[in-house]
Amino acid sequence: MMTAGLKTIISLSFVLAVGFLLVILSCALFQQYLPLLVVATYILAPLPNWICGRCANPDDFGDSGGANAIVDFGKFCTGFLVVMGIALPAVLAHSEIIRVPAMVMSIIGGVLIYGTIISFGMFFQEEQEF
Amino acid sequence: MSEERLWKFRKPEWMNSSMARSAGVYGAGALFSLAFFILLDASVFSHSPLNGSDPPIHIRFIDWLPLIFSALGMLIINSIEKTRLSADSFSYSGSGVAWKARVVLFLGFASLAGGMAGGVTVLVLKYIVAGAVWPTLYMGVANVLANGLVMLSSVVLWVSQNMEDEYSYNLSL
Repeated sequence: MMTAGLKTIISLSFVLAVGFLLVILSCALFQQYLPLLVVATYILAPLPNWICGRCANPDDFGDSGGANAIVDFGKFCTGFLVVMGIALPAVLAHSEIIRVPAMVMSIIGGVLIYGTIISFGMFFQEEQEF
Repeated sequence: MSEERLWKFRKPEWMNSSMARSAGVYGAGALFSLAFFILLDASVFSHSPLNGSDPPIHIRFIDWLPLIFSALGMLIINSIEKTRLSADSFSYSGSGVAWKARVVLFLGFASLAGGMAGGVTVLVLKYIVAGAVWPTLYMGVANVLANGLVMLSSVVLWVSQNMEDEYSYNLSL
């Protein structure tokens, strides 16, 4: 149990480092530091979900709307930010502000970073269930 | 509940699960984001050196106006409490709540449709009449595409919210 958790943490941090490496490489190779915004986007992406999840009380089913609307708003914002992380390098590459290889690297790096955040949250929740 | 069914095909089971509902909400956010970034892409493209239109055509505030109206309509439509729409048939509702809900909902749909119409108007008046060719014409097409995506996102959000109502209804029984 302990070793499995440790292995997970080590591999997740490794993936996170590779993601950051790809994003920073996509900036530094071409001297254009705008793709760093992808990292900020993906770090911000799970925040609305967490904040709105705290605001809502999942127990009251009788009063539809109200609490659930806040949860839905959080999910809407999260979906917005996730697509923003992919769309931002594409927009930059389409106007040739960054090159296409930089776009590919920053998208892959962003997906790796976001995947790390999400899977870390999932492992954390699984441990809390017991 | 099966007695009140109107259509021949019954709704598949998975549509009532809470997972499908949250997937719908995430998808609505993703579609809205796609709409916003398509128009942003057109705007960035128009101010980049790649925009080689001879009488220069740029994206201005006029081009953003349809998307603003569409987003406003989407906000209005999805802020309405759906259960109030049929509130007149129940006795507990106050005087004319359903009327107010319908009027506001009508305003929302009008704003959404107006945004779509405005997108087509901008495409025709600013680009097609001026005789723009493809890389420039893209800016007008992006406008229509963005408004269509906002409409689609609004539909997805509406459907998944209605799904949620039936889901909690099943639970409370």
